[in-house]
Amino acid sequence: MRTDTVIIGGGLSGLTCGIALAKRGQRVTIVASGQSTLLFNGGSMDLLGYIDGQAVKAPLDVIAQLPIDHPYRKIGTERIADLADQAKQLLEDAGIMTEGSANANHWRVTPMGVAKPAWLTLKSHVCIDDIEQLPCKRVALMCVRGFFDQPNGMLANGLQQMGFNVEKKEFTTDEITTLRRSPSEMRAVSLSKRLVSNSSLKRVADQINALAADADMMLLPSVLGDEEAFDTLQSMTVKPLRLVATLPPSMAGIRMQKQLQHYFRMLGGNYLMGDSAVSAVIDGDRVVSVTTAKLGDMPLRANNFVLASGSFISRGLTADYERIYEPVMDLDVDADANRDNWTQFGVLNPQAYSRYGVKTDDSLHCIKQGKTISNLHAIGSVLSGHDPIKMADGTGVSLLTALAAAQDILAK
Amino acid sequence: MIIIGGGATGAGTARDCALRGLNVLLVERNDYSTGATGRNHGLMHSGARYAVTDSESASECISENMILRRIARHCVEETDGLFITLPEDDLQYQQTFVDACHRAGIRADVIDPEEARRIEPAVNPDLIGAVRVPDAAIDPFRLTVANLLDARLHGADTLNYHEVEGFVINQNRVEAVKLLNKKNGEHVEVRGRVIVNAAGIWGQRIAEMAGVKISMFPARGALLIFGHRVNNMVINRCRKPANADILVPDDTVCVIGTTSDRIPIETVDDMRVTREEVDVLLSEGVKIAPSLATTRIIRAYAGVRPLVASDDDPSGRSISRGIVCLDHAKRDGLEGFITITGGKMMTYRLMGQIATDAVCAKLGNTAPCITADQPLPGSEDESIFKENPAKRYSFGLRAALGRHGSLARNIDRDNDIDNALVCECEGVTVGEIKYAVNDLHVHNLVNLRRRTRLGMGTCQGKLCSCRAASLMGEFSHDVKGAQEDLAAFLDERWKGMRPVAWGDTLREAQLTAAIYEGLCGLDMVVDTTGKEDVQ
Amino acid sequence: MADQMQLCNISANNFEQCTKCSICTTVCPVAAVTTDYPGPKQAGPDGERYRLKDPAFYDKALKLCLNCKRCEVACPSGVHIADIIQRARMSAGEGKRASLRDTLLANTDLLGTAANLVAPVANATLGLKPTKLVMHSVMSIHKHRTFPAYSRTKFETWYKRHAAKQQDAYSRHVSYFHGCYVNYNFPKLGQDLVKLMNAAGYGVHLLDKEQCCGVALIANGLYKQARRQARVNAANIRQAVSARHHTVLTTSSSCTFNLRDEYPAILDIDTSDVRDNIMLATRFIYNLVDEEKIKLIFKQDYKRRIAYHTACHMQRMGWQIYSIELLRMIPGLDLVELDQECCGISGTYGFKKENYERSQAIGSTLFKLIEDAHVEAVATDCETCKWQIEMSTGLPVENPVSILADALDVEATRRANMISD
Repeated sequence: MRTDTVIIGGGLSGLTCGIALAKRGQRVTIVASGQSTLLFNGGSMDLLGYIDGQAVKAPLDVIAQLPIDHPYRKIGTERIADLADQAKQLLEDAGIMTEGSANANHWRVTPMGVAKPAWLTLKSHVCIDDIEQLPCKRVALMCVRGFFDQPNGMLANGLQQMGFNVEKKEFTTDEITTLRRSPSEMRAVSLSKRLVSNSSLKRVADQINALAADADMMLLPSVLGDEEAFDTLQSMTVKPLRLVATLPPSMAGIRMQKQLQHYFRMLGGNYLMGDSAVSAVIDGDRVVSVTTAKLGDMPLRANNFVLASGSFISRGLTADYERIYEPVMDLDVDADANRDNWTQFGVLNPQAYSRYGVKTDDSLHCIKQGKTISNLHAIGSVLSGHDPIKMADGTGVSLLTALAAAQDILAK
Repeated sequence: MIIIGGGATGAGTARDCALRGLNVLLVERNDYSTGATGRNHGLMHSGARYAVTDSESASECISENMILRRIARHCVEETDGLFITLPEDDLQYQQTFVDACHRAGIRADVIDPEEARRIEPAVNPDLIGAVRVPDAAIDPFRLTVANLLDARLHGADTLNYHEVEGFVINQNRVEAVKLLNKKNGEHVEVRGRVIVNAAGIWGQRIAEMAGVKISMFPARGALLIFGHRVNNMVINRCRKPANADILVPDDTVCVIGTTSDRIPIETVDDMRVTREEVDVLLSEGVKIAPSLATTRIIRAYAGVRPLVASDDDPSGRSISRGIVCLDHAKRDGLEGFITITGGKMMTYRLMGQIATDAVCAKLGNTAPCITADQPLPGSEDESIFKENPAKRYSFGLRAALGRHGSLARNIDRDNDIDNALVCECEGVTVGEIKYAVNDLHVHNLVNLRRRTRLGMGTCQGKLCSCRAASLMGEFSHDVKGAQEDLAAFLDERWKGMRPVAWGDTLREAQLTAAIYEGLCGLDMVVDTTGKEDVQ
Repeated sequence: MADQMQLCNISANNFEQCTKCSICTTVCPVAAVTTDYPGPKQAGPDGERYRLKDPAFYDKALKLCLNCKRCEVACPSGVHIADIIQRARMSAGEGKRASLRDTLLANTDLLGTAANLVAPVANATLGLKPTKLVMHSVMSIHKHRTFPAYSRTKFETWYKRHAAKQQDAYSRHVSYFHGCYVNYNFPKLGQDLVKLMNAAGYGVHLLDKEQCCGVALIANGLYKQARRQARVNAANIRQAVSARHHTVLTTSSSCTFNLRDEYPAILDIDTSDVRDNIMLATRFIYNLVDEEKIKLIFKQDYKRRIAYHTACHMQRMGWQIYSIELLRMIPGLDLVELDQECCGISGTYGFKKENYERSQAIGSTLFKLIEDAHVEAVATDCETCKWQIEMSTGLPVENPVSILADALDVEATRRANMISD
């Protein structure tokens, strides 16, 4: 089977790259080995949140300070600024409406009530431009009875410390009470499936309106299935309504993944969900084809290939008893050979493995046994040299390297 | 009287003393069962392992084994055990072993290798010989808690997080214990007529504070926990005891161990497992059950056996694995102070009995010991084990029954919220957490884990720890404390995962970091550096 | 160190690889509509750890699982979640007798043979209100359920009378596992395949003997019978593959998935030697076109707007791409690829009275997507999806093979492939 480009990995970076290519008329196949880590995203994209533990105010201003092997350094500040605008537009085209800009970070509110720097946040979700000047004072935190995937106490406490005056209110509706009958399944997604019809949303609105008192803003855990449900609910509430991320799987992430997937399909892309690349044929400095678990003896051929397979959690990288490697093509990786150095004591300390990934040249081409592969780009979390945990640069790297690689491919 | 040490021995002593009508206080510097009690195999020895080398220990084991089946049935799983001979082992040893077992009164049936493969499919198929013995699995956390509960039911007081700082000694008599309340920093003094030092390996330090010398010989053992049960019977190697020769099915996991290394007494608080220990456990473990080579390891841990040098040989060349009860009045001329040590978790009840006998002798109490006959709380009611809890889907209730026996009756399950699962790997409900907090001395998530198995499943507390921390914060109205507790819990989980952080365990760790640091920002609000290692 | 020490962590059904990320729970169509089902994570890997400790931890709620495999498709860790659940159901249910209703529903070929004999009567009877009420109350088959109509002539009979003789004239050959649906309910699909393959220059042959693949038997707990039939099928497929060097084509995604994957995973019947030779006709045909071994020429005046629905088992196999890409080759076809949602029928599941409402609730998302797509027909590779979607949306549902056959300019295609008459 032949298409213009084959992308290994169907998460944020793979889909972004696939969409960018398909929009320009390319035939693209994405191989997605299950759902992606986007499902853990709380509704915000970060470009660069921290350098040496200090919160970053203007990401574009400090890219030059990053280590030389950081993917942003390879792309360059000027191009990053341009790609950042494109990324926001691409998300919008897919129906994902966000606020924010790469010029200045804003603050997102985490499920535990911590303010973390962010680049883009879904319009339906709470965010704060300036932590010194809160947009409002009184906040009513609407807690769903029996829903444990939002640590309400911690959230309320955190908002309080930011300077909000927080009233914690608990509510339930018939649908929610019925759902709680299940001992295990009261996750954000199970709530979202019960809160679809206008009547069920009306019942939520009635409850929270009655509890809103003199609040300036109502906060609700992010348990709605789509923007439509949010708009419907907001139109029925007496006070402005914003959503707060929950523990994963997060509705914001599920929605974004769905929207991007849908958009990619609409553009004629092939999205092979639940298949995985197992090996590749490499001839000289070019990848010829990729074999997948399910297509078997009918490999995917293309002019260009993109590796967007993610980090360890997505199995884009494998750590076994002895070494760390890239499992599809055994590409060169930046990782310590000694197992003892992958990690360190103290769970919240920076962990070395978090920065591991495949080696690339300055155009994000992969390298195998020291030789650059000219038609294989790596994008997103599979790249080395960045740290989504401690630098808060994960989603930014995914979006921007995806667009950079797409530009490269289209320029050929 | 005062008992120092909240391991199985201290708890067993407290129970025995309380049942004999004594006025008891037990103090523990950390949580209950944090020392060797919570850091062993969870193996209920038949005694077969010691039959050849230490017949006294073997006889003690089989006798206690039979007693525990009666009194602690909710802590025991009657799995039976195999002693297997591999091609590299000497098959001659099997006969020596069986004879020694029979001499010690241990049932030991030689079975055909084919039969061994049939009854335990996980066993190394290359085995050339097998003996079936009455080994079993036992949960030391549950066992300790059940003893403490019974002690309290009979009037004892128990305090965790109270550390001994010193003693008040007057005219060669220990009159009081000086304690630090680690929760609020207060110093208190408690008077007692007899003090029992049941502090395990830390007993040497306790004795030093009282001015007497005991020579402990700390023997460290490391173990690995696998993600699920590969075996349903205990599997031992039929040879002289060596590294990593026992595989025990414990609740939902299985555990291979142990190594055995003499370590300096100064290092007994460092429980970190080394790469070398992991390597030896794995390479030996796969000889017992080959499937361990491809089964995920969820964590590694280590404990220190409180072995004692006998008094007539202070050089330490002759080390006893037997029970040692020292009346320091006779030994050192110090009145009111008894040390109970040596032995093993398996013989905790007997140790308690011996210590209590010594206490009673001093106090002139003549009440008989009844701990061998009276079932522990949770094990007294047989009907609960036959009860069918098939209301809706019953995972949580069934799991709780396994953990608390008949005491599971005390768990609220009248409404949907109490029935809600918090830890889905191990089936821990909101009701069970409430019960543990109210009745089982739970102050933090690590305590909760020891009482309920919350966070002990394959994911090591990925989502449940946040749910539980949130609930605990609601109970205590201390949200900030709950966040710190959550970080400390994750750190404690990581300590065990780190030595085996490859494959799916590393993936698990990365996902946990993505959730708690990336998504939630826990690292921005909590500082865990410099926190105490053991909770 | 042993050679393979910890180089991969793979336990039975990979359940150790589960990181408890809970993604599977977000795609489970059953958990989405009922609180009675614990969801795939709990029913699968979580429950399995406890069942290994004590089989009494088996929960009856597991029978609510559709076996749609969407959890496996979504799992980023490669855990065979649904297989774990099926296996648990099997070990809990082995030895128990299935109800009359389940036995009847499961024995699609038995029922089919009887019905073919009296097709007009059977169709009329199965459609009559009193019959439906009896089935609803006595048999527990839901009264709103429309039974698929039975054909008057079996496909096998048609083939022997009208097609068998001509097949040897072709230079290349394939075998065809038609399945119960083609044989008893809808011979036209089989006829369409013969038409298509003949135009491409391939003779189509039946297996020496074919029995129902057993997908419904497995779903209804009739494992012994399923195993018996699986052995017969495996032997006959093996005969076609090794003695005649035929690829064995199918036109039903569920039969295909069952033959290739469920035989070894659930029934312990090893088909690894012939697995690669069993495939959906669309995959086979796509490959021939892709490698330029055949050409397909379509009618100039063919104009339709059709939505493609990926059946659950099709998605699990990952082969929808072949059907979609083939349909996209038809110039006059405006194809809408629907987002992947379960239709709710899952073979015989939705026929049962106790599951009817759940089944319709599960399908509602898909029905809405179809409605919003404004199409004149729906394409799918699964016959039970077809019944469900036709009943629930009123739109005709066709197999891609039938659409291709309809759109094909047979004469032009034969010429292009240099087939003489």
